[in-house]
Amino acid sequence: MNQPTLSQYQYLQKTINNRLGLWLFLVSDAFVFGGLFIARFYLLGTDARPEVNQIVGLVVTSILLLSSFFMNRAETAMATGDTKGFFRHARLTLALGSLFLIGVVGVEWRIAPYPPDHSVAYALLYTMTGFHAFHVLSGLIFIALVYRNARRGLYSAERHWPVEAAAVYWHFVDVVWVFFYPALYLIGQAI
Amino acid sequence: MEEKRNQLHRIGLTVLIILGVLTIGEFFIGAIAWQWWAILLAIASLKAFYIVREYMHIARLFQPQEEQVE
Repeated sequence: MNQPTLSQYQYLQKTINNRLGLWLFLVSDAFVFGGLFIARFYLLGTDARPEVNQIVGLVVTSILLLSSFFMNRAETAMATGDTKGFFRHARLTLALGSLFLIGVVGVEWRIAPYPPDHSVAYALLYTMTGFHAFHVLSGLIFIALVYRNARRGLYSAERHWPVEAAAVYWHFVDVVWVFFYPALYLIGQAI
Repeated sequence: MEEKRNQLHRIGLTVLIILGVLTIGEFFIGAIAWQWWAILLAIASLKAFYIVREYMHIARLFQPQEEQVE
């Protein structure tokens, strides 16, 4: 049975609307992260921060920035008809994103000197990194789904909105971490 | 398409280098002068600006519909 397909004009019109919807969602999500960011400075000021390992912070930040670079390459590859390039770069993004999760949840949480209920500083540390980690996890699932659909041949250079959406979401998670990194790891003295 | 891809790759790589340099810079500022919170937040804002502009392609939102649908 022939499935109805959208014309290229209809597909692009739909993409424009989808794009607006995605950005509206990201802005609303940014308010939640913004609330956590402001809470950190309201409760701890600029003189104090939780005791975290700054080297681990630098490493996980570098890993996430690198994953964003590869996601950008993956999207570019799909948009220019290089399907093999998309698969290669999407796999690298998935690997680096998983490494970031391990670095934060598996390493940083393990070596943090106190549990979340020790003080406000540690409650903030676990809340901010935990909430962000959930977003990273959902981003990884999103990219993995897009990867599977691409394997089935569902996307092309002309029609690849889900790839763009996964990339934009992944970069958003990166932007959030760009602000969380100095707020948790660099500003203030460890308490 | 090949030429377009190479051009986009060059932009992506340039942004990565800028982000890397800024991240190392803020790491050292944080290590030796943690009181400079305004500078650290300014660096974070600059990094976010590059990601939002070059990786998230925010400009696509403001392109006229006719231009995108062509």
